[in-house]
Amino acid sequence: MNLLESVGFSLIDSEELSYDELLASSRFMSGDEARVTSQDIVGLDAHEDARTLVRLIQCSKCSLPFRIPITLPCGHSHCRDCLPQPHHRENISYPNTPDRRHGVVCPVQTCQREHPVGECDVDVTLSKIMEAITDVTAEYQPASEDTPMLLEEIKHYPRADSVLPEKEEDSMETPEPRSQVLNGGRLAATLRFAQMGFLDFEAEVGYQTLSKEGDDYRPLGERILTQFRESVSKELDCQVCYNLMYDPVTTPCGHTFCRKCLVRVLDHSSHCPICRRTLPIPPSLDRQPSNQRLKSLLVGLCPDLVAARAEAVEQEERGTIGELDVPLFVCTLGFPSMPTFLHIFEPRYRLMIRRALEGNRTFGMLMYNRAGQPQGDLGNTHFLQYGTMLRILNVQMLPDGRSLIECIGTTRFKVLRWSQLDGYIVGSVERIEDVSLAEEERIEAEETSVAAPALNAPPTPDNISIDPSVLVNRLSTRRLLIHGVEFIEKMRANSAPWLHQRILDAYGQPPDDPALFPYWFACVLPIADEEKYLLLSTTSVRERLKIVVNWIRRIEGQRWYAGSSCTVL
Amino acid sequence: MALPKRIIKETERLMAEPVPGISAVPHEDNLRYFDVKIHGPSQSPYEGGVFKLELFLPDDYPMTPPKIRFLTKIYHPNIDKLGRICLDVLKSNWSPALQIRTILLSIQALLGAPNPDDPLANDVAQDWKTDEKAAIQTARDWTSKYAAPE
Ligand SMILES: [Zn+2]
Ligand SMILES: [Zn+2]
Ligand SMILES: [Zn+2]
Ligand SMILES: [Zn+2]
Repeated sequence: MNLLESVGFSLIDSEELSYDELLASSRFMSGDEARVTSQDIVGLDAHEDARTLVRLIQCSKCSLPFRIPITLPCGHSHCRDCLPQPHHRENISYPNTPDRRHGVVCPVQTCQREHPVGECDVDVTLSKIMEAITDVTAEYQPASEDTPMLLEEIKHYPRADSVLPEKEEDSMETPEPRSQVLNGGRLAATLRFAQMGFLDFEAEVGYQTLSKEGDDYRPLGERILTQFRESVSKELDCQVCYNLMYDPVTTPCGHTFCRKCLVRVLDHSSHCPICRRTLPIPPSLDRQPSNQRLKSLLVGLCPDLVAARAEAVEQEERGTIGELDVPLFVCTLGFPSMPTFLHIFEPRYRLMIRRALEGNRTFGMLMYNRAGQPQGDLGNTHFLQYGTMLRILNVQMLPDGRSLIECIGTTRFKVLRWSQLDGYIVGSVERIEDVSLAEEERIEAEETSVAAPALNAPPTPDNISIDPSVLVNRLSTRRLLIHGVEFIEKMRANSAPWLHQRILDAYGQPPDDPALFPYWFACVLPIADEEKYLLLSTTSVRERLKIVVNWIRRIEGQRWYAGSSCTVL
Repeated sequence: MALPKRIIKETERLMAEPVPGISAVPHEDNLRYFDVKIHGPSQSPYEGGVFKLELFLPDDYPMTPPKIRFLTKIYHPNIDKLGRICLDVLKSNWSPALQIRTILLSIQALLGAPNPDDPLANDVAQDWKTDEKAAIQTARDWTSKYAAPE
């Protein structure tokens, strides 16, 4: 019997297949797309797809079934021991927490980015799945006796542009394909074959039964797969919605939720629901990859449930997109975490505030477009397109119907569409958020790595006049912050009128969080609102701090603070 | 609005595997509204009492915590006259990974371990601190007066 003829369904038919495709082949999922439509989904068969099933839990580096799996921020998983040694990361000053000072270079060729060690925690779900699989295998040990089958590893010769470069180093001489007689039907035997270290991640398997009757033990394999499916799917329940995970995203702390569930959680808090660690990722999970292994396992093992979930999610989304559901108040400039005090007297805004109080107590604050600048896709509007959501903290109703309200800024947004409702504006908005901490660090390293060390010294009027914008760009994020903090201290020492106690009473002391410092700084600094407005569209802490330092640079250049008048620049 | 799968599953589990000393039954006409009964923990001043509470799951549950309060009068430093409970997991320490079951267990634990240093009912907490023995006796008296099992 020709071994090749009995090879199960192969995923590496095409020469073009990449690592991701090996796992998420078009057989059951189309590429990287997060959205799965029901016709894409075909479950895997215990007999025909035994090799593919085992590959789903095999480490691409050591080829063994995962031992203490870690899912990296790029969505790829490896054994903890298979990650390279951490190295010290250069040119990063913010946030500079101990867990982010070291990094590993991603072994996946399509990634190769530097992942901070603090974002490479053990994947709790994948670990539990590995335990569940071990338990099921042990349970079926007795039933698997005397079901011999010969397995032979079928190697593919490395292609010129191999997608797994880590394999190239140690494959100077191609080792002989390995073979072994194993029990338990194709699925259990293939898993055992991989556990013995006889099955390369990329290799296929040839099967030949040694049963005298020619039995291929198909029903046994099916029973084992059913058991796998049952135990594994228990671990694949999302702890937020109690459904089977849909489009699973794993946090840097190793906990996994449906993408949609985690986005909703992050609307309310920046902590992991399970371990409460702060999550250094954008609340919209923009560009946060899905957990590739879990995604493939879900589709491979529970295709019907995934299809049903896909449909339910689609239905949910229909009708909620693009609603003009945010009340907008065109009045002044607000910033996240900073207070805004408003005097409401016009009836239409009284109505708006009353409605907000009955609902979630929030509304969007926008500035007037005084210069008549076109606002992106909105065209020429009477307001500027970026704003801040304000939450009402206190309302003081006056007897004549006017009210004084105290609000606190929550998130920034951009208006996508707008219309009028009972005299005020309502819109559909998109949240503006900072990039992930990893991206924040990457930007800093990129901008500062070319700088000579001397340039990180505090700028003096002399060196700043050389090429100020380049200089500011090369300062470390920490240095930018210190620059802002020192400026405030200096102004206080000089008794600058705009740092009057009254101002500090309203806005408090400068916040410790560098992400918020620029907002506080803008609140107290007497410059035009149109300039402060620039902070609203920023997407990194570093970008905001650079704006702050450029303001300081200009003010100091004009020796403006020396005078006692409160000139608005 | 259809009831989310999560609420259905939580309710099913509460019915199938009830927590000893705790019952939570949803109203037939409003499945987000639960009648709760908690038995006072043994060796606490609330032993022998059955305390009624109301629990409501807001629209954005589990993103926000359940709203819950005591209906039975109770003398406890962390529960005020209106039955409101001072418990971190019901406020800032809420997490969507918690559930009705865990919250009710926390409340039961709070009955077993009053914490006068983090009070809601200030006068009760004060009594508790100045004369713990007398406060515990008052709690016992209230328990037999207001929380006698039906
Ligand atoms: Zn490995
Ligand atoms: Zn990576
Ligand atoms: Zn979920
Ligand atoms: Zn976590």
